[in-house]
Order: sequence, then structure tokens, then C-alpha cells
Amino acid sequence: MKALSMALRRPQARPFLILAAVILILGLFNPHKVSYFSVASVFSVTQSFATLGLVALGLGMTMIIREFDLSVGGMFSCAGCIAVLTGGRSPWFGLLCGVGAGALGGALQGWLITRLRLTSVAVTLGGLLTLQGLSYVLTGGNSIPYPNLGVALAVNAPVLGILSVRSVVAFGIFLIVGLVMAYSRLGVEVMATGGDRRAAMVAGVNTDRVVVAVFALSGGVSALGGVLLSFGLDAASPIGLADVLVPAAAAAIIGGVSLGGGVGRPLGMAAGVLVLAVLQSGLDAIGGAHQFHDIITGGLLLTIAALDAPGVARFVSAWRMAVSESRTHTRSPASAFNRK
Amino acid sequence: MNEALRNRKIYPVDSPPGRTALAPSRWAADFRRTMMIFVRVVAIAALVIWALTTNGLLTRISLLSLLTSVSFIGCTAIGMTFITISGNIMSLSLGATGSVCAMVFLAALDLGLPGAIICAMLAGIAISGLQGFIVGYLKANGILISIAALALILGTADVVTGSERIYAAGTGTEILKGSFAGVPVVAFAFVACLAIAQVVLSFTVAGRAMLMVGSNWRAAEVMGLHNGVIVTVAYVFAGVFATISGVLLAARYGSADMDLGGGYDYGAISAVLVGGTSIHGGSGSILQTGLGCVVIALVQSTLLLRGYSQEMQYLITGLIVLGVILLQSAGKGRRA
Repeated sequence: MKALSMALRRPQARPFLILAAVILILGLFNPHKVSYFSVASVFSVTQSFATLGLVALGLGMTMIIREFDLSVGGMFSCAGCIAVLTGGRSPWFGLLCGVGAGALGGALQGWLITRLRLTSVAVTLGGLLTLQGLSYVLTGGNSIPYPNLGVALAVNAPVLGILSVRSVVAFGIFLIVGLVMAYSRLGVEVMATGGDRRAAMVAGVNTDRVVVAVFALSGGVSALGGVLLSFGLDAASPIGLADVLVPAAAAAIIGGVSLGGGVGRPLGMAAGVLVLAVLQSGLDAIGGAHQFHDIITGGLLLTIAALDAPGVARFVSAWRMAVSESRTHTRSPASAFNRK
Repeated sequence: MNEALRNRKIYPVDSPPGRTALAPSRWAADFRRTMMIFVRVVAIAALVIWALTTNGLLTRISLLSLLTSVSFIGCTAIGMTFITISGNIMSLSLGATGSVCAMVFLAALDLGLPGAIICAMLAGIAISGLQGFIVGYLKANGILISIAALALILGTADVVTGSERIYAAGTGTEILKGSFAGVPVVAFAFVACLAIAQVVLSFTVAGRAMLMVGSNWRAAEVMGLHNGVIVTVAYVFAGVFATISGVLLAARYGSADMDLGGGYDYGAISAVLVGGTSIHGGSGSILQTGLGCVVIALVQSTLLLRGYSQEMQYLITGLIVLGVILLQSAGKGRRA
């Protein structure tokens, strides 16, 4: 019991608690007695994890350094188009082109942000619109098929029953980024840059380089997610893939990332993505309830974003102070004296 | 190190950046301002020459279609300007708000035109004002709240309508569809919106307070302004103008779904930025936003008339917005 209350107080535990709650609720309210814990349903969860996870990771990492990368959706769809167009002969070359373009675009945005001292939302908004336009121009506004059919099968081939090559890559990237964040100097520098940029700079961190690196990572991993999805779907399209920003932001925020910067872990983000993935396949399994996915996602995001807002923290601390003050006042003899 | 410290940039996400400027030398500031004006004049002159040499632009049909498309997106852009100026950058849910209001308007049309417009207005004010309340009073991040609101709006609309189009429940929309003296009524509505919004921004306490809050949150608070109320009011205005956009669209097409205003939020913020309103909040004007709308629409229609594909228009628009954002930093100068 004590361990549980300790866990509840740790903010890092929040994403996992939400995940547990979602699984529990879906398990309890099960009108059609759908079996959630079959291999097929777990496979569908990991597949949606692979689609959404990498974009959420990219966005979440920029939120950790107190920035916001609006362009992840653009990277996602544009890289998919680039990979399908260039990877006709060799899928590896297409992958390289797509991810390379994403990382390069991300680094360029990071460079502009640090060089011109612009807010990241402004630069990445321009980036998003440009990338969307670019993917329209590249594809001529149509969905383009990928001639290499074998690649789709290979990318979605099951691994250990519940995973696919696509989701293994996604989980692997999360693992690598998580390890780098936890055990390397770079990870500490990223957290310091997000927590207090000036203090980090005084402590000797090259914060500009950290910003560029994180934006390159954000662009690269979002692009990787888009490339893998396009390969998996056997097609790339400039439309439809761009609506990934909403679930990505929701996953990052549910995953314990704070817009205040310096808070959040890749592991938490993975749990945040899993919450949405589980929710999606659970609601799909219940049937006819998939509209509620948007509502629940939006509700969760709204609640957590509102609760994390600085205004709430100030209100709560003022309330606590008032409570403790009123306690000390009633106990102190002076106040008793005053009351007479 | 000292140099690095002086050039540091603090990236406030939840509070607009303060203008604690170590003023650059006067000469440099003057030079920069002159350069900015020069760049603008050259850009506008180039656009005018480009437009005038485009065959077929100066025909009645193409000018009318230009005017109509500017009017539709322009009203949403006016709303977006209030959000940008109040320091909250942009709302990703303004287009969806317009779509919802269009549906409400059509569904309530059996109450008559005024009744339907009032219903749509109430819906827009409620949706946008609630977001403004959360952003203003709780100091939540505006973009994040708008993303959450977008998901909520899309999901709720899907459940309520069962993913079906809404058709007009009555008549009376002809007056909004028609034209007066050869000019479509929507254009009059847009010009009226421009005038009203500019008056609100420039000559009312609420408008001046929005500019103040957007330029420096802390200072506005210290001055005794009620920042929460002001941000809420800014979002309410955004909702009102998004509703007008939605109503005009609904009257024109006679049916509405959630795609009606889709993408209008990005189009609107593009117009706001191209117009020269600062993305950091605190400065800008409605008339400039109107100009931004005209510039974007002019670029798009001339590209179309010169035989470029629609896809090319998207790319060029994106590049223009990116260029304008980068130019803004040049005009701003070094902030210490």
C-alpha cells in the first residue's frame, strides 16, 4: 500500500498508471466479451504503436527542451513520399533518402531557431507548410503506389507473434533514445537545456548544439516513422497522414512530458503512445465506438494540459498555504488571544 | 562565454517573451527598420508587377472569385489575429470551430436567418471562449489546448452527426449568397468584419489590453489588468469571426461537414504572419491581416492562371510563410 502511494506521488509513474487504468477499464466494460489479450489484438496495438510512436518521440523530445516541433506531421508524410519515390530499386536507398531528408530538415529548422533566435513554433509552422507543399508537388497530389510489394510484407512480417519488423524498429529507437537520455552526457545536457537554458549555458553546455541535435532527431525519427508506414502500406500520399500531430501531442503529454521543459522520459512517452494504441484497438474491438477515441484522446490531453498549467500549480500552492496558515493560526495562542 | 551570455535566448513557452531588450545601437535599429520597409516595398511591387502581367487576372470572373475566397478565409484570419496578438501564437481548432458553427447554422435555419446566426454565434463563442478561459486563467499552453479542443470537436461532431453531412433545415440564405451592385455580399461582410475588428483592437480597452498582454504578460499583470479575462475575450472574438466564416461558407454551399473549414486554421495563420503581425504577440493589426489574405490569394490565383499546378501553390505559399517568419527575426534585431 505504501509502495503504491509512493508510486502515485512519482510523476514519472503517471503514464504507466494511466496505461494500467485504460487496460483495466477496457477489460471491465466489455459488453461483447471481446478477448483483448489475444495475439491478434496485441499485434494490432504494437502496429499502431509503430505508426504513432516515432512521431510522438520526436515531438516529445522537442518538448523536453522547451520547444515545440509543429512540423513532425509534415516530416512524416513528406519522408514517406520521398522514400517511395526514390526507393523503387532499393528500399534501403529510399529509407536513407527519407530519413536523411527528415534529419536534415530538422537540423535546418533547429539551426534557424538558434541562429535567428526565433521561437520554434514559428519556424516549424513555416516548415510544416513547406513540407506539406513539397509532398503535394512530389506526388502531384495523388496517392502513389510503391512497386516493391515484397517490402510491405517484409516490414509487416510478424516477429515473435506480437511484434512486426516495423514495431521492433520503433521499440528499438525508443530504447536507444531512452538509454542515451538516461546514461549519457548528452542526455544530461538535453535535460539541462530544457530545465533552465541559461543555467545550462553557464554550466558549459553548448545549448545551441543541443537544440539543433534534438530537432535533427525529431525530424529523423518522424521521417523514419513515415517511411516505415509508407513501405508497410505500399503507398505514399500527401493527404491523410498529416493528422498525426494531435495523437502525437496527446501521447507525449500523457507520457509525462511537460511543456515547461526539462521533464519527461522516452520510456514514459512509450507508455503514452501505448495508452492511445490500446484505447484505439480496444474501442475498435467493442465496435462502433471508434468515434469516442478522438473524444477520449482530446479529453485526456485537455485535462493533463490544464492540470500542468502554471496557473493551477500556483492556485494549489496558494490553497495549501492558506490551509496550513489557518491551522497554525487556530493553534497559536496569539490568534486565540486576538479572537477574544 | 560573455558573448554567448549576451546572445542567449530564453525560450518561454507558457509566457510570451518579455521585451527586456538591451537596445542595439540606434543606427543599427534605424538601418534595420529601413531595410525591412525596403524589403516590403520591393516584395509588394514585385507582386503587383507579377499580377499585372498575368493574363486573365483582370477579368471580372477571376477578380470575383479572388474576392470570394479572400472573404471566406479572411474572417477566420481576423479571428486568428486576436489569438496571435494576445500572445498565444495560433489555434489549431479555429477551422474546426468554423465547420461546427456552419453545421449549427444549417441545422438551426428553421428558426429563421437571425435565429440561426445567433445559434451559430453562441456555439462559436462557447467553443472558443472555453479554450480562452483555460489558456487565460490557468495559463495553459494555447497550442496544446487547441490541439486537445480539435480532437474533442472532431470526435463530438462525429458522434452527434453520425459522420453525415448536414443540410439546410430552412431557407433564407439567399441574401448571403447574392450580390449587391455586382459585388458579392460575402465581400461586404468581410470588409465589415475588418472594420469592426480593427476598431475593437485599436479603440477599445479590451483591444489595447490584448496588445499589452501579448507584448508582456507580467507587465500587464503588474499594471492591474485581468489577464485571464482579456485572453478569454480575445478567444471569444476569435470564435465570433470563425463563426462568421462558417456561416458564410454554409450559406454558399447549402451543406456542411467537418471538412468545410478544414485547413482554414493554417491558411489563417499564414495570412496573419504574411500580414506582418508578430508571432510573439503584442503587435500587429487587423487590416494587415486583410492585406496578408489578399497577398496569399493573389499569389495562388496568379500561379493558377499562369498554369502552375495546385500542388505548386501549396509549396509556394509554404515558402512565403517561412520566408516571412525568417524576415521577422531580421526586423526584430538582436534581443539580449
